[in-house]
Amino acid sequence: MRRTLLRDPIFMIGFVIFASLLLLSIGNTVFRDGQVDQFLNRYSDEGRLIGIPPLEPSKDQWLGTDRAGNDLFQMMIEGFKWTVGICATVALGRMAIGLLIGIPLAFRGARVNRIFKMVLDGFLILPISLLAMMMLFPSFFFADSTMVPPLLDRVTLQLTVFVALGLPAVTLYLITEVRQLLKQEFMIVAETLGGSVWHRTRRHLWPHLVPTLVIVIMQQFVQTLMLLIHLSLFGVFFGGTVFLFEGVRPTLFEWSSMFGFYFTQFTATTWMTNHMFLVPALGLSLLVFLSNLLTSRLERAFRLRRQEAVVTEETMSQAEAAAASLADPFTLVHADGKLQHNSKPS
Amino acid sequence: MNWIAQKSAQFFITIFVLIAISALPSLVVQLEFVPTNYWNGIQQQFSQLAKLDEITYYNVTAQRELPLLPDLAPLMKETVIIFVTSLVVSVGFALLYAYFFYRSGKRVRTVLQQTSQTLEMIPDLFWLIFSQFLAITIYKKTGFDRIEVAGGFAEYIRFLPIVTLTLTILFFFLKWLTKHILEEEVSLFLELARAKGVRPAALFWRHLLPNLVYRFYLFFRSNLITVLSSLLIIEYLFNVQGIFRFAVYNPVMPILLVILLVVYIPIFMLDLLAEWLIPNAWKGGI
Repeated sequence: MRRTLLRDPIFMIGFVIFASLLLLSIGNTVFRDGQVDQFLNRYSDEGRLIGIPPLEPSKDQWLGTDRAGNDLFQMMIEGFKWTVGICATVALGRMAIGLLIGIPLAFRGARVNRIFKMVLDGFLILPISLLAMMMLFPSFFFADSTMVPPLLDRVTLQLTVFVALGLPAVTLYLITEVRQLLKQEFMIVAETLGGSVWHRTRRHLWPHLVPTLVIVIMQQFVQTLMLLIHLSLFGVFFGGTVFLFEGVRPTLFEWSSMFGFYFTQFTATTWMTNHMFLVPALGLSLLVFLSNLLTSRLERAFRLRRQEAVVTEETMSQAEAAAASLADPFTLVHADGKLQHNSKPS
Repeated sequence: MNWIAQKSAQFFITIFVLIAISALPSLVVQLEFVPTNYWNGIQQQFSQLAKLDEITYYNVTAQRELPLLPDLAPLMKETVIIFVTSLVVSVGFALLYAYFFYRSGKRVRTVLQQTSQTLEMIPDLFWLIFSQFLAITIYKKTGFDRIEVAGGFAEYIRFLPIVTLTLTILFFFLKWLTKHILEEEVSLFLELARAKGVRPAALFWRHLLPNLVYRFYLFFRSNLITVLSSLLIIEYLFNVQGIFRFAVYNPVMPILLVILLVVYIPIFMLDLLAEWLIPNAWKGGI
């Protein structure tokens, strides 16, 4: 498994990009105290004014600056860890709680599960972003920038809401997966031999569940990112929205918030001369693409691992051929296709 | 009889759950979870259920409160038009692709699979912005201005939203169909049919596909939330005059309740129809 991934160039490239962005982002906080440089009016050597913010992308500011003069490249680097951190926390939280609820429920009878599914069915039709927007909007809209509550309170509440709203779908999915595994022969054998629920979960269920869980985490990661983007387009930025005289402003340098923030500015001004909006938009699209890419490579690696254990077609057909040409119908056949000649007196 | 009882029980339980969901916005007050407020919210929603016709909304153009229910019909029409058209188009394309995939050889298959896999990874957001960008570039270059990039109060925008939603749903379907065709291809009943000399086209349309219909429906049903999320953001960004955009601009609990009911009841009917109309043999029974 690990070897397959290490030998997979696409996975390695994706992983290295991801890891280096994360390192850069954390490095910016550790070594530069999370600072983002501001460039105001730019002058030529003779002292002539040649540019006012927002500046176009150039050699000095790789991705240009926004209206306030913040360097977009530095903002993207600084925000990466927030975006990834939020999505990873929410994905892990959903999965951990989903497992805690789902595994005990999956061991119960079919009736309990049917009722549980019926109750949660209502959650599966409503776009989560709409509900999250309505829950968060009143509490996260600050008219006065000096009266913003502490960051920790805001983040905890928002993360709780995100985890809770995605939980029904994840739990239902995990229950289905676990119940399907429980129907397998080896699980029935383990039960017949008297393995307790805990033993069966840890020894037999868990190893088979891990591939599914990795994929689920990656999918939830992307879903949370989409939720963040939708919310920021509706004007609810992560960490709260500050209402200023000239419009709204996010409180954190975070990719999805930046996207939503510049999007409102962008619709108000001209099309596509506006690099400010394109930078986070392309960044987010690339991030989603990258996560999906990593997921598909992981899926492939798990698939390859599973194939190793399976008896290949060739030996199956050999076994069939051997079984068809038996002299004595009670001769034993090995799985590898060889006949076992027992020395039974005829 | 048992079936009817079960289905009506399911219907009423889900209505209860929907009311509980629609009251969720009252749970959060000033950055805190307040259960008592939530309880009041649920009671309020229940009493609202008896007088649905009294719900009003603030109409910006008329500058006053108007009753909701008569004004909801044109909004629903827009949403349904966009949703159903994209669904039909993408199912059609997906089936054609599946047939083409089934009939093609190993090398073509690899190319098709890898292309669709790569395209599937691109988020719907990108299609959305890209299509708007393309429409505007075409206008700038050639002066062709028949493609709308945003709707207005009395203008309907349909082409781009349908294209974007179709792309989103299509890649979703392609992955599932490819996987299941590869899985079913080696099954014994197809082998038998092939051995009896059934032509490949009939093999696909008459033997392989019916087996997938019900599972395909279940797959679609369990992923409906993703499609609706896409629809929501498409309606919002293209300014489509549909119910989801309406809900975003009128974020109050009674309207949320009505929207939930309006979305859930047709889906429930569709579920019943699917279970009733799709023959047992297609569901894997005998």
